[in-house]
Amino acid sequence: MVRRALSYIGSALSQTYQAVKASTDASVLGAARFLGLLYGPIDRSLPVDQALKKTLRYRLAPHVGWRHSLGGIAYLLFVILVATGVMLVFYYRPSPQEAHASVQHIVSDVAFGWLVRDVHAWSANLIVIALILHMGRVFVEASYKPPRETNWLIGLLLMVVVFLFGASGYLLPWDQWSYWLVAEITHAMEGLPLFGATMADAVRGDEVVSGATLSRFFALHVVLLPWIAAALLVYHFTLVRRRGIAPPMSIPGDAPKGAAGLGVPFFPTQLLRSLIVSSLVIAVVITLAAFFPRPVGDPADISTVPESLVTTWLLADVARALIRYVGPWLFIILLVLLGGLAVLPLFDRRPARQLRDRRIALLLGAVFFLIFASAWFAGHQMRNTPPSIAVEHDSGASEQAPIPIEPLGLSPIQPTQPENEEGVP
Amino acid sequence: MKRSQLFYLALGIVALSAVAVPRPAQAQVRVTLDDTYGCVRCHADKRQSFIAGIHSERGLRCHDCHGGDPSSFEIDAGHSQPFLGAPTKRETVELCASCHSDPNQMRQYGLPADQLAEFRASRHGELLLIREINDGPACTDCHDAHTILPPEDARSDVHPTNISSTCATCHDDAEMMDPYGIPVDQFETYRASAHGLSLYEEGNAASPTCVNCHGSHAALPAPAGEVPNVCGQCHVLVRQEFYEGPHGDATLGGRRPRTINCHRKHGTEHIPHEAVQATCRECHESGTPEDDIAGALQETLVQAEEDLEAAGRSIDELVRHGRDVTSAKLRFRTAQASQLQLTLVQHSLDSLRIEDLSRRVRSTSRGIQEIEEVSQEHRWEHKLMTIPVWFLALAVVFFSAIKLSGVRRTDE
Repeated sequence: MVRRALSYIGSALSQTYQAVKASTDASVLGAARFLGLLYGPIDRSLPVDQALKKTLRYRLAPHVGWRHSLGGIAYLLFVILVATGVMLVFYYRPSPQEAHASVQHIVSDVAFGWLVRDVHAWSANLIVIALILHMGRVFVEASYKPPRETNWLIGLLLMVVVFLFGASGYLLPWDQWSYWLVAEITHAMEGLPLFGATMADAVRGDEVVSGATLSRFFALHVVLLPWIAAALLVYHFTLVRRRGIAPPMSIPGDAPKGAAGLGVPFFPTQLLRSLIVSSLVIAVVITLAAFFPRPVGDPADISTVPESLVTTWLLADVARALIRYVGPWLFIILLVLLGGLAVLPLFDRRPARQLRDRRIALLLGAVFFLIFASAWFAGHQMRNTPPSIAVEHDSGASEQAPIPIEPLGLSPIQPTQPENEEGVP
Repeated sequence: MKRSQLFYLALGIVALSAVAVPRPAQAQVRVTLDDTYGCVRCHADKRQSFIAGIHSERGLRCHDCHGGDPSSFEIDAGHSQPFLGAPTKRETVELCASCHSDPNQMRQYGLPADQLAEFRASRHGELLLIREINDGPACTDCHDAHTILPPEDARSDVHPTNISSTCATCHDDAEMMDPYGIPVDQFETYRASAHGLSLYEEGNAASPTCVNCHGSHAALPAPAGEVPNVCGQCHVLVRQEFYEGPHGDATLGGRRPRTINCHRKHGTEHIPHEAVQATCRECHESGTPEDDIAGALQETLVQAEEDLEAAGRSIDELVRHGRDVTSAKLRFRTAQASQLQLTLVQHSLDSLRIEDLSRRVRSTSRGIQEIEEVSQEHRWEHKLMTIPVWFLALAVVFFSAIKLSGVRRTDE
């Protein structure tokens, strides 16, 4: 009786599986490929199971190694950010009255809320490092050279989008640190020539950082940027497959036809490598979250400049250092450098990939990296209140040049020695 | 009735109506602005300063104080009798008092009419009016002669923010103060005191100035026995506790308590809790029972302060880790209130009440610290959680590596 029932259920399930298989297009495997679980081309003329087997057997180029996992790490961190971000948005309330309290609620009361929030915050930092390293690897190996210029540009755009993600997310905790850092950056933006004031107004949506700014940043962070990032990612991955992985530096020009498909198989070798890297990255992120949770500052207060500003995002440190040391030319310098890197493939079209043949390009890249690293280091040392903000707050004159001032507060008169006489005055 | 009689009758009625129906002060034309007013032809500078003051607003004219005939434009006729000219200090006091001692005139402005009586009772009045020494100030020395402004006007020399420096114009003058043996550093000492800092640094206009303790028109130094009452006018609760203690008893018993030694006089200052015993030792010798009480009091006060600070640090730590601190903050307020009561009750030296309050501060602060300790334990648990995470991650790495080497061998 039981055997008959089991047999009946088994055949029913088998029939359903066959029916689903027959009616499913192999294109569905594209979703798995988007998640990094597949790499090779998908033969859409085959049934889905055979197409899967075929794509799993795909072999990568022989020179593909561990260093190629940097982009994958950045993507994994992006996926972690999306997953934790979705979890956070279930509890986060984007209004000046509720934002800070809701973050407090997430880390205090929600089960594993602290973990989700701190993993989100740490991933936002690590993704910047992963992206810089990924970009550095592509740059040093000259992988941006034809025919991969478009993907280099897409990659740069993706980096800008990730930076915008971080910048817009930075204000959301609505604490003193995030509020006044955004205030400092928008204030610096005002000093930019031509479009500075307009741009600052557009970013803030108000004359000062306010609820309007919070709404804008939230909308950017959870509505607009995810779509842009998704579109760019799909195209980035598509181009990686279509153009293939760039050949090693020793081979000038593009890889010979058919070079791909001679190395290690995607399954299981490359997938196991991904698994190893992913496990380690996840463990590192959780460890950082548990040992170094992002502190929660006091609720944002528009009328009180905090005595110290704690930054919790790598790029916040970079931005602060450039504002303090470079002033309003921050964006211009960044744009020039970024523009220089963006147009590099258009000028550096020689097939040579060896380091000794690309001294100028390497110098440009090194300058960018050095500025970035030293700005981060300098910004990380800073804890004091932004002088520009303090001056503006103190005098109400936004045009006034930023000058260092004493911390807010009055300098009391030093008490004289108490009288020694006694009795009647 | 003759025409001339009719004329004089009409003139009389007009004159009477002018006297009987006084116009509101504000509606009066400022006669000093009138070019037909003789005095201003020559004394334009005095006019400038006078019209800025309240007396001009109230309709007073030059001749109301100085006499003379303002309808005349001739120097001699204008200065015709009765003409007072520039009054002496004593004449000034009498002149001001002629209105300011009249309750009927002062009533509408809500001003007291006993200012002259108060002044006579003051050390200043004694000097000027009784001993006839011109070192004693007259009204115009503090209130200005022409630009007389109400005390609530910030430009006035007697405004709370200005009065102490007004007093200091004489009391900082070593030559003038020397014959009376009055030190001249009082203003600087006051500026650096708790009261002075509150006024000049924190902008608290309610802070006491010279006149709050010494009186204004009746300016006198307070005898030592009266000091607790003088301070107690503002520090009401401290005064109550003080009189419940042995020092209060000593004051009431006429013995010299020398209470002023604790907080100083012009240099009034808060005594840090850790300096309590040292302050007591200014009067009570080391090793005496009083010194032991002082030591115990200091220990209790310092402990309560430390407890409260520890609770504050715990709250900061909780905030830093995103914990909701509403209830902890409420408890902290309770502990703060107990500590405030403790600082008041210490003036009574009532050891039972002092101990009770310090216990309350300690237990409430301890409760807050316990909340933080629980949070600390949670954070420790978070760290422990990384052990299984790394165990899993390394297991994945280990088995994947084994599988990879197997695949590589097969591939080769």
